[in-house]
Amino acid sequence: SILLLNWELSNQDHPEDIFPMVLTSATQELFDCQADEDVTGESPYKLLEKDDIIQDIKTRAAVSDFSPVKQIVLDYPEDELLLVYDRDFTYGQSFYLVLTPEAKDRILNPPKPETPEVFEKEVVKTPEPKPWISLGSDKEIDEEAFKESREKLLYKFSRVRRKFGVPVCFSDRNTADAKDDYLECASYQDSRFSIKQMQRDCGMQAVPRLQSSSAQTQWKFQKNIFTQYTPRELSVEEKENILQLESLKNFCNSVTPRVLQALQQEGIMNVFFDDWKALGTAADDGDWAGKVSEGLMLYQAFTDQKYTKDKKICSINWHPTIYGKVQHLIIKISISLKSNNSLLKASFILFYTFSDPSNPQLLLECPDDIFAFEFCPSDPNIIVGGCINGQVVLWDISAHVTRLQGTQPGKKVSVNTDNKTPIVHYCAVSALESSHKAPITDVQWLPTTFEVTRMGLPVENMYNISAQVVTCSPDCTIMFWDVRVSSLVSHSASERRPIMDQKTPYSVPDTFKHLDRTWKPLFRVLQGFRVQYKMSTEMFYLQFPNLKISSIHIVIVYSKPNSCCDGEIIYTDWKLGKDDSGRLQSAKPLHCFSIHHWLVNTVQRSPFFKDIILTAGSWNFAIWKEGVMVTTPQVCTVGCWSLSRPAVFFIGKEDGSIEVWNLLEKTNEPVQIHSHVTNAKITCIKPWAASSKQHFLAVTDDIGMVRVFEIPKTLYVPSRSEVRQGPSHFPYLIARPR
Amino acid sequence: MPPFPSQAEVEETLKRIQSQNGVQGIIIVNTEGIPIKTTLDNASTVQYAGLIHQLVMKARSTVRDIDPQNDLTFLRVRSKKNEIMIAPDKDAFSNKTSFLLY
Repeated sequence: SILLLNWELSNQDHPEDIFPMVLTSATQELFDCQADEDVTGESPYKLLEKDDIIQDIKTRAAVSDFSPVKQIVLDYPEDELLLVYDRDFTYGQSFYLVLTPEAKDRILNPPKPETPEVFEKEVVKTPEPKPWISLGSDKEIDEEAFKESREKLLYKFSRVRRKFGVPVCFSDRNTADAKDDYLECASYQDSRFSIKQMQRDCGMQAVPRLQSSSAQTQWKFQKNIFTQYTPRELSVEEKENILQLESLKNFCNSVTPRVLQALQQEGIMNVFFDDWKALGTAADDGDWAGKVSEGLMLYQAFTDQKYTKDKKICSINWHPTIYGKVQHLIIKISISLKSNNSLLKASFILFYTFSDPSNPQLLLECPDDIFAFEFCPSDPNIIVGGCINGQVVLWDISAHVTRLQGTQPGKKVSVNTDNKTPIVHYCAVSALESSHKAPITDVQWLPTTFEVTRMGLPVENMYNISAQVVTCSPDCTIMFWDVRVSSLVSHSASERRPIMDQKTPYSVPDTFKHLDRTWKPLFRVLQGFRVQYKMSTEMFYLQFPNLKISSIHIVIVYSKPNSCCDGEIIYTDWKLGKDDSGRLQSAKPLHCFSIHHWLVNTVQRSPFFKDIILTAGSWNFAIWKEGVMVTTPQVCTVGCWSLSRPAVFFIGKEDGSIEVWNLLEKTNEPVQIHSHVTNAKITCIKPWAASSKQHFLAVTDDIGMVRVFEIPKTLYVPSRSEVRQGPSHFPYLIARPR
Repeated sequence: MPPFPSQAEVEETLKRIQSQNGVQGIIIVNTEGIPIKTTLDNASTVQYAGLIHQLVMKARSTVRDIDPQNDLTFLRVRSKKNEIMIAPDKDAFSNKTSFLLY
């Protein structure tokens, strides 16, 4: 082997931290780095112990291969040096020694190429506060901060003990008075150094300059200004002149054909009528959410153990105005009871609400059993009722209205802590001798549009309030009552009963105090030859379009319960006329129909067509137009018209079932029969339109239960043509008598 | 004074139209919108004349703006309760006195 020692360290074609060197084969053997045996081109690295190298240098001195790098090896901080076999002679020799540990690390552990980190799902953590790195701002803060440079000095003054508690007197003293009492350190200009202040911190604030100013215009000539318009008109002569013009004539001739053509078009057909839309009535709202029920659904049932159980409910009414939000409807139903049990002294009218079906909200106390009662149409706080002994009773519930309205769900009823239903006493009762001699079977308020004088003439109602009541009873009289203080009635001294000595309870309002016990009817209509039962006064709506008062007709239903004769329907005029002898007498009836063979218990005008009347008797019900009638044989106890569809009505039967009739679909049988709604006879049906989405039907029976049904949409949404063409259906009925 | 012949013709025309089914009233109005002859009461006449006149002007100017050769021949205003038919004269908006039938 050829020894080659390269002393040229200055040959800088290799980096500084490696040292190319040649190792003899002996050295290679010694250190186990024989070329191409221990170290190869693939693994050229060999770590040599520093101690071994030093040992070698010591043993072989100048001959050692490592002698040129002896100092470096001695200075090498670590224990192992890296020897690299330089096969390709890149640095000029066959081996090179790495001189610094950093280079060694770099060669042995080349920096790995950065593998792209697998993007793991990082859990979102709240960032933790990083430790604060000082960038120099804390120095400034320290400079500006105010710190105590020394401890505070504390001076404590106290007096001599023997002077404790003795009053003390402080006074002022000027320091200039005494010479040596103070030591002054005056400030002076030190000439040794002068510091020019180059920088000074000062604060600034920007304030906008505001200036307010005002101006006023002068209103020199003050005067009122107004403008009034009148239409321009031509005088009569001008009109005459124009009318004579030839051009006017030409104009009329030319224009007339066009106008006639347009009118003719109108007559032929209505081009703007949407047939498609008019086809479907049920699909109008597109209410496809859920199944649409076809029949009456029971909404709620009311009964009360104490008051209504096993009693016949004679009459039911919806409160005309009180109602709550859609979800929880609060409708007041009042029931009048006829007690089968004669031991019960007082009878009541009960008010129920939807939100509390088992407790009545209000009770109206009646002097006796009540057959019929009605809310006043213009003031729903007044209720009139007809008693079984012939008296007419009035109640005023305005004191309790807030309570009735306040029973909404969610609100706590704070008033009634002892859970007793308030009882309202009646305000006024008619005079016993002027009342009917038989039970009052029907009571109706006169509508707000007209009122009646003492003679029976209908006159225009000045105040638009309902103040008059009509009652009828089987004692063959119909009486008209007025609830207002009458100035016309002159009380004689004997007639005037002192009201003072009658004790009325405190809670009774004074609304009708003038009437109490002295109330007499305005006038009475005597029908001497018949017995009366029920009457319908909706016909009073037959109005005077131009205030020309035509004769008003009353429909009275007569029936004779004790004999087997017919119940009759009498159509008459109630005006008192004078007969030959000059006495006031009621008019003779105009028409008389006997179609029901037993008691007639319902007479009702259709709310849509004023001349269509529904009457229901024990064996049949009939619909008739004034003048013509039609019957259909059914066994029924009560009937009523639907409020929103002219061709729909409901019939209640003896066996407790309800029939729904729709004249548009079938005319000889009901469209729906809800049988056995209750086990007893149905006594009263009243419909009510609570909102546009909910219509109810209240049904009462003979055993004290009130059921409220919800009328399905199909039964209360009228089709377009129904309202318009209504009466045409009835002639169809009339043409097929049975 | 007996009506002039042309006046009689006008009357007759009006009667013809009035006798049609459903006609509630007729108003004849001059170019400025002042009613000349009417079958309705005064208050309604004045109201109709004032309101409809502006509408007709607007309609006519619309038609003419789109096509100057075109002109309004008939205007029908249809509402829920009734319909108003307006027939303008061919020179309805020139300076000469001419007429509109409402």
